[in-house]
Amino acid sequence: MILREPALQLDPRVRRLWALEWGLVAVGAAVLTAGVAAPMALADNLLGAIVVALVGGSVALILIGLAVLQPRILYRRFHYEISDLGLYVARGSLWRRWQIVPHARIQTVDTKRGPLERSLGLVSVAVTTASAKGGTDIPGLDPRVADALVEELARRAGIDEGT
Amino acid sequence: MSEAPSRLHPLAVLVFARKRIGASLLPILVIAFTWRGGFALPVLGVVVAVGLTVLVLEWRRFTYRIESGRLVIERGVLRHTTRVVPLDRIRGVDLQAPWLHRVLGLVQVEVEAAAGGSSAAELTLAAVSAEEGERLRAALLSAGAREATDDPRPALVLYRATPRLLIAGGLTSGRYILAPLAVIGVIANFADDLPSALGDRLLSEAADRVPTEALGVSVLAAVGIFLALVLAAAGSLLTDWSFELTDDGDRLVAQRGLLTRRTVAIDRSRVRGFDLRDSPLRRAFGLVGVRVIAGGVAGGRPGRTALAPVIANDDARVLARAIDPLAAPDATLERHPRAALPRRLARAVVVPAALGVVALALQWWLPAAVLLLLGLVGVPLALDRYRQLGHRFDGNRLAVREGSLSRRWTSLDPRAVVSYAIERTPFQARSGLCTIVLHLGQGAGSRRVLDCSEEQAGALLVALDVPLFAPFVARVASAAQPA
Repeated sequence: MILREPALQLDPRVRRLWALEWGLVAVGAAVLTAGVAAPMALADNLLGAIVVALVGGSVALILIGLAVLQPRILYRRFHYEISDLGLYVARGSLWRRWQIVPHARIQTVDTKRGPLERSLGLVSVAVTTASAKGGTDIPGLDPRVADALVEELARRAGIDEGT
Repeated sequence: MSEAPSRLHPLAVLVFARKRIGASLLPILVIAFTWRGGFALPVLGVVVAVGLTVLVLEWRRFTYRIESGRLVIERGVLRHTTRVVPLDRIRGVDLQAPWLHRVLGLVQVEVEAAAGGSSAAELTLAAVSAEEGERLRAALLSAGAREATDDPRPALVLYRATPRLLIAGGLTSGRYILAPLAVIGVIANFADDLPSALGDRLLSEAADRVPTEALGVSVLAAVGIFLALVLAAAGSLLTDWSFELTDDGDRLVAQRGLLTRRTVAIDRSRVRGFDLRDSPLRRAFGLVGVRVIAGGVAGGRPGRTALAPVIANDDARVLARAIDPLAAPDATLERHPRAALPRRLARAVVVPAALGVVALALQWWLPAAVLLLLGLVGVPLALDRYRQLGHRFDGNRLAVREGSLSRRWTSLDPRAVVSYAIERTPFQARSGLCTIVLHLGQGAGSRRVLDCSEEQAGALLVALDVPLFAPFVARVASAAQPA
């Protein structure tokens, strides 16, 4: 690509966060499968139970595979950087996207902490612009890094803190 | 500037009533006519009396005023609410006159205000007199255009739709040609709700009368096509009757419509560019449609952004320069690399053809024939889609073109861009292509440069904003140097 990669990486712990997220979805799929297949088996519908178990099981397996692979790949392929004039974020491996948001166009800078993020001690930063789709976010940052990032973005964007 | 609170026009009660009843008129009538007891009329009378009282109260409690640079609206019968909008946050004021308003000489005022982030709040004054509407619009928008000159320039007419143009526009527009099909769909739906015996009888009677011999069928088809064309022309005439676009220096004002007369005013300072749109049929007749790209014009809804629903090519060029003197509608575009062609072919040809082959294998002859035919038609379509791809930046305006069946040529002021994105799918990566997305903000949407080469993307982005992109571009600097 003609743009160079942004310089900074996320906190390595973000891989655990993503793995946990996918893992939870996988567990959900497994529980759902069991919840459907077990009553079928009890009702003597063995064939149906086997089909459901096979389909649900393979979905859960794929999700587990994603939980193992996706965080490593995405972590390696997620970079961000702040220049004098803009925020530059590059993400994704096969479907890749480079976003550049000029500081002058930033309307709000927020930090978000979901329950999973909190348990790992991570913070994500979200930036919005006057265009609903024009914003971006940087997940999985160390709180100190995130605070510094928010402060710098807010300062460069000319936003008062605490809004 | 301060004024005493005003009420809506007293006849607004009728407008309220129509709005309230609109949805529930049918059930009310059904109850009134099917009620077996002797209560029908008294009950209806009570309902009407209570309803009228509520509506009159609603009207009495609804006041608006302009007070120290703010529009203040107070309303509510049981729960009182007050809305305050600073005038400098008002992005647009539309006057609309649906048929009931026109009969009563009223207009509906829609005030569009910026409301943090991307959303826009809309305030509606349901019915005021036409003069009051004009006065309000002037008063509400004067704060936005602060250096409004004392001697207002006479409004310049930029475009006026003639019935001939509108008929041509309706006949060449997919929207109006397909509209009758939608009507037939609605009628068919209603037919489902009719007592089934009646529907079946009508259907069988109709079926008996359908001619089966070749002559009859072709006459029927000809009549059907003729009707569709007449309806398309009528639809275009109805919505855009005496469409007129004027320019008073600060604002572009578009008026249109036969039954519902609509006025849209767009602050010139919010204009970020415009689209010229056409279809193969319109290209054949040398016609295009012009739409503005502007902040705060209700999410770019087509009805609000039209500057000229249909206009001759040469006139469109003149109009384009009147809207934006820096626009260059005739400049040659930079073509996108040939690698973009296989992508167009893949979408237009390979998908229907593959499905067609599957259908053949399954011996579904009719779907197979249709899909294979679609695939065949896809070849010239894909070629044209590729041929239309292009962009050009001359230092002031970015021009982008894409599409074939619905072609769009866009002229854009790059200062309007709120954020940039470059997207690349695995298929694009293999061909060295990418797509640039320019987000415009304030509901103006986004425009994209589809399938340009990575070199083109880099060069374009740097040209659009040198200080922003120069630090991020790896190769352009070295490529620009002589080898």
